[in-house]
Amino acid sequence: MSSKRRRALARGLYLVAVGAVLLVVLFPVLWLVLFSLRTEVESFRMPPRLFVVPTLQNYVDLWQSKFLRAFENSAVTASATTVLSLLLGVPAAYALSRAGFRSERLLSLWVLATRMAPPIAFGIPFFLIYKEIELIDTRLGLVVIYLSFNLSLVIWMMRAFFDGLPRSLEEAAYIDGAGVLGAFVRVTLPLCAPGLATTAIFCFLLSWNDFFYSLILTRSDALTAPVAIVNFMNYESWEYGKISAGATLIMLPVVAFSLGVRRYLIRGLTAGAVKG
Amino acid sequence: MTSSPDRPLTPEFAASPSAAQMAGAPAAVAARPRRAWAATRRRVLLALLLPALTALFAVTILPSLFLVATSFTPLDLTKPGSFRLEGAGNYRELLRDDRFWNSVWVQTRLSFWTVLLQLLIGLGLARLLHTRIRGVEAVRAAFIIPMVLPPVVVALTWKILFTPDVSVLNWLLGVAGMPQRAWLTDSTLALWAIIVADVWEWFPFVFLAVLAALQMMPDEPLEAAAIDGASRWQVFRHVELPLLKPVLLVVGLFRLIDSMKAFPHIFIMTGGGPGVATEATNYFAYLQGFSYTFVGFSSAITVVLLAATFALSLGIMRLVGRATDVE
Repeated sequence: MSSKRRRALARGLYLVAVGAVLLVVLFPVLWLVLFSLRTEVESFRMPPRLFVVPTLQNYVDLWQSKFLRAFENSAVTASATTVLSLLLGVPAAYALSRAGFRSERLLSLWVLATRMAPPIAFGIPFFLIYKEIELIDTRLGLVVIYLSFNLSLVIWMMRAFFDGLPRSLEEAAYIDGAGVLGAFVRVTLPLCAPGLATTAIFCFLLSWNDFFYSLILTRSDALTAPVAIVNFMNYESWEYGKISAGATLIMLPVVAFSLGVRRYLIRGLTAGAVKG
Repeated sequence: MTSSPDRPLTPEFAASPSAAQMAGAPAAVAARPRRAWAATRRRVLLALLLPALTALFAVTILPSLFLVATSFTPLDLTKPGSFRLEGAGNYRELLRDDRFWNSVWVQTRLSFWTVLLQLLIGLGLARLLHTRIRGVEAVRAAFIIPMVLPPVVVALTWKILFTPDVSVLNWLLGVAGMPQRAWLTDSTLALWAIIVADVWEWFPFVFLAVLAALQMMPDEPLEAAAIDGASRWQVFRHVELPLLKPVLLVVGLFRLIDSMKAFPHIFIMTGGGPGVATEATNYFAYLQGFSYTFVGFSSAITVVLLAATFALSLGIMRLVGRATDVE
């Protein structure tokens, strides 16, 4: 066997190995999706059949349950908190990037601490306060507590993007007579559009994925999708079909979005410690 | 370079006829308007910063202070009037509470094994996939899917895999001639089931970070080692691994801190059971405050947890600082 053919063979084996590892890694989640497409009878069949005639019955059942409302709550609270965090956080990030307030260490410690704190640390005080001011089980209540992790994330990520932009463009705008605000809004912001999009996706995903706050701060009206699924776990029986269908619906937008921002995943997840 | 009429002129610029020239050649022209302009700019920037800082203060610092205050009260939601400061009673009780120490031990094992396994698997996989072979680059993205899934989906996925009635995992084990288990209701296996779910969810985090570090690694030391006749394993062990140490330290610490927040997995897969076998500290705090009604006691547990996280965060900052110093 020539060395060229041997190398081709080695490469082929390597690719097969990689494919096998990928299959093992993704099997659990693929199984969840397959599970959502089968009837109750099929899901309990042992040995399980790999291929069955798929049915959308679980999704239809879900559509007719209260889950739809929970899905809407998730979408609304995640979007609202994203918009609010950007409105507050982006100008602040710009100011920190340009003013040189010498706040670097304090800010990164703050960002890191809010990212690191277990949710229950904010959950308890917010729960007690919301009980007094009647914000339990409201979308507004969730939006506000989501600020606790989103706002510092926006400031941290956007500051890195602003730091990466040359100041000469703003200075040129000043010369053209633009004020500080004008230069920021008309010159700097449009250049940061990709950064803004990435940051927005991060905020949306973190809020969308939240389980703990929704669990303790909502009851029924403002219930979000991740907690609503858990209500299909009863003591008597698990409604596996609805659970797997609901889980599939929750994860689809997340997977699509995050593959789009994968270049920034590490930066976002280690916010506070690693510079952008 | 004239200002267009629709753009508002700042007073400083309007006052100076040579505004354009001034900004272009700052040193040449009068210093007074320039200083005024800088002061205005600073005021505007401060105004941009303040709303966010106020909000951040309101949603992070104030609740933290409130939490610490609550931890010094015997607050019980079923007892009106129990929200009064009463000293460190909760903390004394905590130190005597076997269930708390159990939770610390569960937490320690959970953290140790998840971090260790994530580092090993993430590192191994990154090394395996660090190549320029076409096709591999395309599938790399697929490996990060577990970590971007909502935690609740991860927990449900593994709950379904580990529940005997519907467990394809048990069936596979049976086919392979291995014993089938009731994973989630066995007091030794339950914690391992949670460890498996957590490792699966987060090894991609280590994978991504290590892969990025490998790709940025300078070629020279690797080539030098190859010329010296080092085997692949020797290159990995003596050249790459030392260079990867800072990255591994930082991601390891991040995972360690996040492992102290383990919640949805425990809530959905085992509920802390069987008995207290999977009751990690965070979950113990949740149970005391929200399953029972002892919010004061729960706050004290949380403060302890928060202090531990804070100490580890400071550790990260030190390490990151040192890692960048070396560079």
